[in-house]
Amino acid sequence: MSTQISSPPTPPTPKSEPQASPTAGRWLGYLGLLGPAGIWLGLLLVLPTLVLFELSLVPGLEPGGLVNPSGLENYLRVFEPVNLLVMKRSLFFAGGTTVICLLLGFPVAYWIALLAPTKWRNLLLVGFVLPLWTSSLLRTYAWITILRYSGVLNTLLTSPNPWLSNLGLPTIPRLELLNDWPAVLIGMSYGYLPYMVLILYASLEKLDRRLLEAASDLGANPIQTFCQVTVPQTMPGIAAASLLVFITGLGDFVDPELLGGDSTMTISRLIYNQFLKTNQWGFGSALSMVLIMLVSIAIALLLKFGDRSAAS
Amino acid sequence: MAKSQLRVQRGFLWQGLFTLLMFFFMYLPILVLALYSFNQSRYSASWEGFTLAWYQKLFSDARILSALQNSLTVAFCAVGVSAVVGTLMAVGLARYRFPGRSLYRGISYLPLIIPDIAIAVATLIFLAVIQIRLSLWTIVASHVVFCLAYVGLIVSTRLADLNPHLEEAALDLGATPFQAFIKVLLPQLMPGIISGCLLAFVLSLDDFLIASFTAGSDATTLPLEIYSRIRTGVKPDINALSVVLMLVSGLVFLIAESIRYQSTEKRLK
Amino acid sequence: MTNDLRLSQFYPTRRRFLKTAAAAVSGLALSSCGWTLAQVRPKPPSNKKTGANKKLYIYTWSSYTDEDLLKSFTKETGIEVIVAVYDSNETMLAKIQIGGGADYSIIYPSDYMVRQMRDKGLLLELDQDRLIGLDNLLPQFQNPVYDPGNSYSVPLSWGTTGLIYNSKTLKQAPEDWDYLWEQQQVLSRRITLLDDVREVMGATLRMLGYSYNSQDPAQLEQAYKKLVSLKPTIASFSTDTWKEQILAGDLLVSMGYSADAVEVAKENPSLQYVIPRSGTSLWTDTMIIPASAPNRDAAYDWINFMLQPAVAAQVCERLNFATPNQVAIKQLPPKVSENLSLFPKESVLEKCERIIPLGKFNQVYDRYWTQLTSS
Repeated sequence: MSTQISSPPTPPTPKSEPQASPTAGRWLGYLGLLGPAGIWLGLLLVLPTLVLFELSLVPGLEPGGLVNPSGLENYLRVFEPVNLLVMKRSLFFAGGTTVICLLLGFPVAYWIALLAPTKWRNLLLVGFVLPLWTSSLLRTYAWITILRYSGVLNTLLTSPNPWLSNLGLPTIPRLELLNDWPAVLIGMSYGYLPYMVLILYASLEKLDRRLLEAASDLGANPIQTFCQVTVPQTMPGIAAASLLVFITGLGDFVDPELLGGDSTMTISRLIYNQFLKTNQWGFGSALSMVLIMLVSIAIALLLKFGDRSAAS
Repeated sequence: MAKSQLRVQRGFLWQGLFTLLMFFFMYLPILVLALYSFNQSRYSASWEGFTLAWYQKLFSDARILSALQNSLTVAFCAVGVSAVVGTLMAVGLARYRFPGRSLYRGISYLPLIIPDIAIAVATLIFLAVIQIRLSLWTIVASHVVFCLAYVGLIVSTRLADLNPHLEEAALDLGATPFQAFIKVLLPQLMPGIISGCLLAFVLSLDDFLIASFTAGSDATTLPLEIYSRIRTGVKPDINALSVVLMLVSGLVFLIAESIRYQSTEKRLK
Repeated sequence: MTNDLRLSQFYPTRRRFLKTAAAAVSGLALSSCGWTLAQVRPKPPSNKKTGANKKLYIYTWSSYTDEDLLKSFTKETGIEVIVAVYDSNETMLAKIQIGGGADYSIIYPSDYMVRQMRDKGLLLELDQDRLIGLDNLLPQFQNPVYDPGNSYSVPLSWGTTGLIYNSKTLKQAPEDWDYLWEQQQVLSRRITLLDDVREVMGATLRMLGYSYNSQDPAQLEQAYKKLVSLKPTIASFSTDTWKEQILAGDLLVSMGYSADAVEVAKENPSLQYVIPRSGTSLWTDTMIIPASAPNRDAAYDWINFMLQPAVAAQVCERLNFATPNQVAIKQLPPKVSENLSLFPKESVLEKCERIIPLGKFNQVYDRYWTQLTSS
């Protein structure tokens, strides 16, 4: 584990800091700059999370109930088989979406960054990302319209059926994608693809073309160039984008809820239900803490991986 | 170099086609919504005639318009507050070294990492504990939390690219720290602040989970209204709404981009 | 090789954060022993006639009010009505308890929820002298079992739960709950059940010959297993969304409330409603005034408005729910008052059961429900 405590987007510190300011001014600076944000975050983020943790320790807590942190029953319930299944499902959706976005997004980012004419690059990128500006709920609803049993996709798919049955051929069946996991994967991938492309683009844009040329001059075919030059060079970008998509996917509520039907219960839906339907606030708090922990583990793993590849 | 050029040209072709396909994928749902916003039929997927009735219905729908108004209020207030507070925070973090600095920085990144549902739930619990009545302003307060984080992150990134000596030069020339901040640092940070604000604005408008947990009785935001309509039986005026939203956001973005483009041109001259 | 995003700085940050957090939390845990979470405090009535008295906030189901109703109330009393909707009793209860329910003066809980809310002290005891027209109600609603003497609630609508099916596309019409199990091949993934634990578990219990309100763990286990075997056929659990889906042709059979069944039948007459042979639940939706209501006078005005036979009749016809107001029933056109989905025969009603709250035992039902929906 490397102990680089080098701070991340920090400005290269001014060579001579204005040390001459008096202590009172300094404190004013501290308070003025860091105070408001600190208070806001502390009050509305840190404190609530701590309260959440406290509530998760009260077995069977409901609103109006007595808060007496007394045990880990809620956490034990989290590890029951049915809830582990829910978590596995969330991981499946998040991981699957990340892989799909990576596979679909990398070529797009590559093309825009490296192969497209320079003056169109910005426009192309913006054009690709523009759908993000519409409500994500509406975009998910659009997928309902497309994927449902009587939807656009099925209507198009079964449109040759009258001719087929006249010719005596088997008719094309309708796809039952909605209310099941394929629709959720499609909806989630669609939603996160722009983010993936944006981050990969940022990474690919900084790629040094000369390295690619050098590799091909040395006799590497495109595949080798890709695997041994492009990918390692853009690994930080790939890692950051994958992490972002994975974490957001873990916490996604709208896509599984609207597209998924009854066999796609995920962690965020489960948490939502605990607070707004079954009133099991203790259990819901424990689930939330577990979700936060899962996300932290994902980040920690990525950091380990990142540090190791940075060191190599 | 002819071989590599040929290779590049071939790559251009199939990857270009793939990218085109992906663009189509991106815009497909929007096209579908647009198409159905003109479809006379209410339920079936087949085309039953052109109509503008859904647009008329949309603009006379008081609930949606008031939800939209609420959403815009929340977004503007939240972004306004976080623009100021977030920028101050980013500058403070960059400038000062103090014990607990990495902790502070880590906390400022938390809203980006913790999933929305966990933040929403924690805020709800907290508001229930201190017995604050839920209203539009509780939504604003909780939106500021993540808007802060985004603005802070983007401004920090921008700060990293800045020339630190300009501010020093201003101080050497006799400006007070306050003047140096306003007249030197702030203009340089402005593009970063603006893009942070734009991002935070879009996220606040689009937020569903946090609003659904912290909204009061009369504080319906647009995502909440849309969600309840999707659940209780969709009338096609939702399609009309999505087309309108898309057009408006496209327009806003074009304006923002042209402003940015013009300011870059001005700077380069 | 510079990484633009140096994520490794998170590492020491997080460790320190976790350490600090752990210290803070243990402090919290040790300090607070026993405080009550989200307690709703009743508000004393406000005596001043301020501008706020001109507004009435209502929390209700999505299909119980429409623009015309609100406009006619405002015309009659001058009070502006603002409506918020919910789609399940449990969500309503949660929201009320979270925000202290501060703004709503009228809420529409179902019968079993009335009892629950009364036990939690959330309801205002109604001043019977201020209510006009209670004697217009059908006899069985004058002293209902869920709220003796209507001391806390006024019934607004009632109905049954049953199966709505597409008679054109289904060769064999359903007659009982077990149709869903028997016809799984035909119905695959094109049915929905209500998103309500008591309705779904109750229906299954009833089909197995037990009561909707069974507290026998063995019976519940049996019902749960039955539902698990049906799960692959179910598209989703939905209380509202099925209406649009069945009209679009996505679904073949849906479990739904009689009021909703009448609504979709109006749009598409081939969608028919059947009350299962083995019996179903009889529900009543009521109006209550929460203890923390800000505008009690307007609330009483609203209740009296809805009790007017003319209004009750209009609402029954327009919004498709059965009214308990016998004077109103007489004013209904025959095609409504003879609609067997809305007003079933006595012989059918005798097979129906009311859902009653089960106190702590509700948690057992909730557990099964969470397991069912999660798997």
